[in-house]
Amino acid sequence: MVKVCGLFLVLTLGIYCLPAQDRSEGTTIGDTAGEASSGQAMFQQNCGFCHGRDGRGASGPDLIRSTLVNHDVSGDLIGPVVHNGRPNQGMPAFQLADAQVRQIAAFLHQQGKLASTVASRIPTEYPIEQLLVGNSDAGKAYFNGSGRCVQCHSVTGNLAHVASKYKPLELQSRIVFPDGAKSTATVTDRSGHQYTGEVLYSDEFFVTLFSDGKPRTWDRRTAKVAIQDPLAAHVGLLTQYTDKDIHDVFAYLESLK
Amino acid sequence: MTRWILAALFATSLGLHAQFLDPKTLLSPSTSEWPTYNGDYSGKRFSPLKQIDSSNVGMLGMAWAFQTGVPNGQGLKSTPLLVDGTLYFTGPDDVWAIDARTGRQRWHYHNPPNEGLHIGQRGVGMYKGWLYFETPDAHLLCLDAKDGKVIWNVELADVKLGYWATMAPLIIRDHVLVGVSGDFNDLHGFIDSLDPETGKLQWKWNSLPEPGTPGSETWPTNSDAIRHGGGMPWITGTYDPELNLVYWGTGNPNPVLDGTTRPGANLYTCTIVALNPDTGELVWHFQPSPHDVHDWDAVQTPVVVDGDFHGSQRRLLLQASRNGYYFVLDRTNGKALLSVPYAEINWSNGTDANGQPVAKIDKYPTHAGTLVEPDALGATNWMSPSFSPETGLLYVDTHRSFSLYYDYATDKPEGFAGRDLSIWSESSLKALDYKTGKTKWDHPLGRWEDWAGVLSTAGGIVFTGDTQGNMLALDAATGATLWHGYGGGAVQMAPITYELDGRQYVVIGSSGVLYGLSLPEAFLDHSGSAAK
Repeated sequence: MVKVCGLFLVLTLGIYCLPAQDRSEGTTIGDTAGEASSGQAMFQQNCGFCHGRDGRGASGPDLIRSTLVNHDVSGDLIGPVVHNGRPNQGMPAFQLADAQVRQIAAFLHQQGKLASTVASRIPTEYPIEQLLVGNSDAGKAYFNGSGRCVQCHSVTGNLAHVASKYKPLELQSRIVFPDGAKSTATVTDRSGHQYTGEVLYSDEFFVTLFSDGKPRTWDRRTAKVAIQDPLAAHVGLLTQYTDKDIHDVFAYLESLK
Repeated sequence: MTRWILAALFATSLGLHAQFLDPKTLLSPSTSEWPTYNGDYSGKRFSPLKQIDSSNVGMLGMAWAFQTGVPNGQGLKSTPLLVDGTLYFTGPDDVWAIDARTGRQRWHYHNPPNEGLHIGQRGVGMYKGWLYFETPDAHLLCLDAKDGKVIWNVELADVKLGYWATMAPLIIRDHVLVGVSGDFNDLHGFIDSLDPETGKLQWKWNSLPEPGTPGSETWPTNSDAIRHGGGMPWITGTYDPELNLVYWGTGNPNPVLDGTTRPGANLYTCTIVALNPDTGELVWHFQPSPHDVHDWDAVQTPVVVDGDFHGSQRRLLLQASRNGYYFVLDRTNGKALLSVPYAEINWSNGTDANGQPVAKIDKYPTHAGTLVEPDALGATNWMSPSFSPETGLLYVDTHRSFSLYYDYATDKPEGFAGRDLSIWSESSLKALDYKTGKTKWDHPLGRWEDWAGVLSTAGGIVFTGDTQGNMLALDAATGATLWHGYGGGAVQMAPITYELDGRQYVVIGSSGVLYGLSLPEAFLDHSGSAAK
C-alpha cells in the first residue's frame, strides 16, 4: 500500500515509512499492558485449544479477524459470548469473572493491534538467529576477494567491532548500503575560483556547499559542479550482491564482535 | 406544511444541481472543465490547451495561491475537479471549493474526527450538483456542490476491521463507482456502484471470487484464505464508453509478504479487470502480479488509448505497473500485446504464455532478508501517469529502488506478515514509447521517492514535480527542463490545466498549498491570447 516518506526524512538506516495514524487506536480504550498480559494466560488456558494460542484460529475461528472482537470495548461484546457460549457451533459457556473477560479482551485487542502495526515497521529488536544463515568463512572470502570490500574497509580499521555498534538488522542493512555519509563537491564559478566542501543541498538547479567557513549557494547555470559521493561504490554493488553474499558477510562481521 | 417544506427542499436541490454538471459532459469535457479524477474517462491526463507552450512556459508565474492550513506532512494528494468555474479538492477530512479564477474560497467542509487511516485523499467525483467524497473511515458522503452541506452519508466498509478509503469516485451515467483500501488486516476488496441520488447499492463486485466460481481455483480450498485475501481497488479506474467497460486495477493479496497460506495465483488480486458498469459483471481480467508477495498493487491507472500498434489500429489499454512491468493490453478482451519491464527489476526472468510476469521464488521475502529491486513502494505507485497522443509517449513517475524484504511471520501469517526495509532509491520521469515500452527519455527527479503525478499538454509540455519539491515543466519530446518553481513543500498530486476567459491555468499542489499558475497578464494582453 501507499506510504509517504517525508521529503527530507532520511534516516541512517534507510527510510521507515510510518502510517500517519495507527488505525487501531480506537479499539484499545481501557486496555492496559497489564490486563493484556494477564489475559494472555487466561486466554491460552481457556480458549487457546480451539482459537489458537495467539487467537489466530485453530479448530475454532480466528478471533483477530473477527468483527465482534474488533467492535468490542473492554469485553462488552466478548463477555456475553464467553458467558453464554455458542452451543450450536460447539462452543461451551465459560464461567469467568467480568474482570477476567476484560483481561481476555485486552489480550485479543493487543494481538489485533500487533497484527496491524507490524505493517508499519520491522521490529528493531529483530532476532539475530533469524539473520545468521550465512557462512562466516565465505563472507570473509567475499570481503577480501570478489566483493572488494577491502578497497575501502578493514575489519581492524574502520569496521573494527562494527557488530557491537549496530543492532543486527541495522548492521545487515548497512552492509548493503551504509547511508549517512556526506557527499562533497567542488564548484568552479565563472571567474574560475574553486570551492570545495560538504554538500548541504543539491537539486537540478542549485547546489549549496559549506565552504570556506559558511554556506554558499550557486545557480548551476553559473558554475561547474562536481559531486563526489563516497557511497557511489555501494550503489554499484546493489546490483552485484547475491542474497548469499549479504548473509555471508553479515555472518563474518557478526563473528568479529 | 412540513410536507410542503420537504417537497420544496427536494425540488430546490434537484433543480439546482442540474446547473453544475451533466454526466454526459464526462464523455467529452471542454477545456474549461476537469470534471473527473483523470480529466476524462481515458486516464490520459492530456489537455489540448496550448496557450502555454514550450516557447513561453519560461514566463509561467503565480496567478493565485490557496493555503489549506494543512500541516506539511499531510500534503495535498488530491486531483482537483473543475466544474463551472469552481475547483473542488480534498484532504483526508476536508473538501474545499475555491474559485478557479481567483483562488478564493467558496466553502470548506471538514469531516468530524474519525478513526480510519488518514494516509491521503485523492479527490471527489461529481454528478449534477452533488459531490462524492470517501472518508478515512470508509464512508461515502454526498455533498451539495453549492455549499458543501452533507446530503447523505453511507458506510462502505467497517473501519473497525481495518478498512479505510482514499480514492476519488468515478461517475458513469447514474452510477457512483467506489473502491476501498486496507491491507494491514486480512480483508477483502470490492467495488461498489451506488445510486447518486440515494446512495443505495446498485451492485457490488468482489475482488475475491466466491468459492466454486471462476477464479477460485487460484486459491486453496482447505482454508478460508480466499475470504481474507485482499485485492483493494484503491485508485480510480478508467472507462471506454463504446465498449461500455470500466477498467480498474486491484491491490495486493493478503497476508501481504508471506504467501504460504495462499498457494496459487490469487485472483483477482494485483489484477486489471474489465467490468460492465451497469451490472458489475466481470468481462475479462489480466493479472500483472500472480501470487504477489512484494506488495505490488496493480492499481496504477489503466490508460485508454486508440492507436496504431505495429501496423494495425487497436483499442489499447496501457499500464506501467508497480512491479516494474509495462503492459499493453487489447482492451476488448484483456489479451497482452506487450509485457516488458520499463524499470530495472531483479525479481522476474520474464513472462508466461499469457504475458503475465513469472516471479523468481528465491526473491520472495525471507526471515534472513532478500534484496529485491524494486522496493515495496514499487517502480511506480499511485502517481498518475500521462499519455500524449501527440508524442506517443506515456510519462511515468518511476522509482529505482532496493529493499531488504523480511518475512517475519511466526506460526500463522496474518496482515503484512513482514516488511521491507528500504535501502536506496532514486526517481525519474520516464517517457515510454507506448508501442515498445522503451524509454525515449529519462529525466532525473532526485534521490529517494518522488510522489508527483503528471500532466501533458498540446503545448508540448509535461508538468510534474521532483523529490526536492520543485514544480517542473519539461519538453514533452525531449525531457529538457523548460521552467521550474519551488512552492515551499512537496509535490504529491497530479497537476491539472484549464482555460477560463481566454487564460490557461495550471494548478499544482505543494504540501498544503494549491497554486494557480498562468502566463503574465501583460504578456497575454500584448499577445492577444486573452481576446481569442
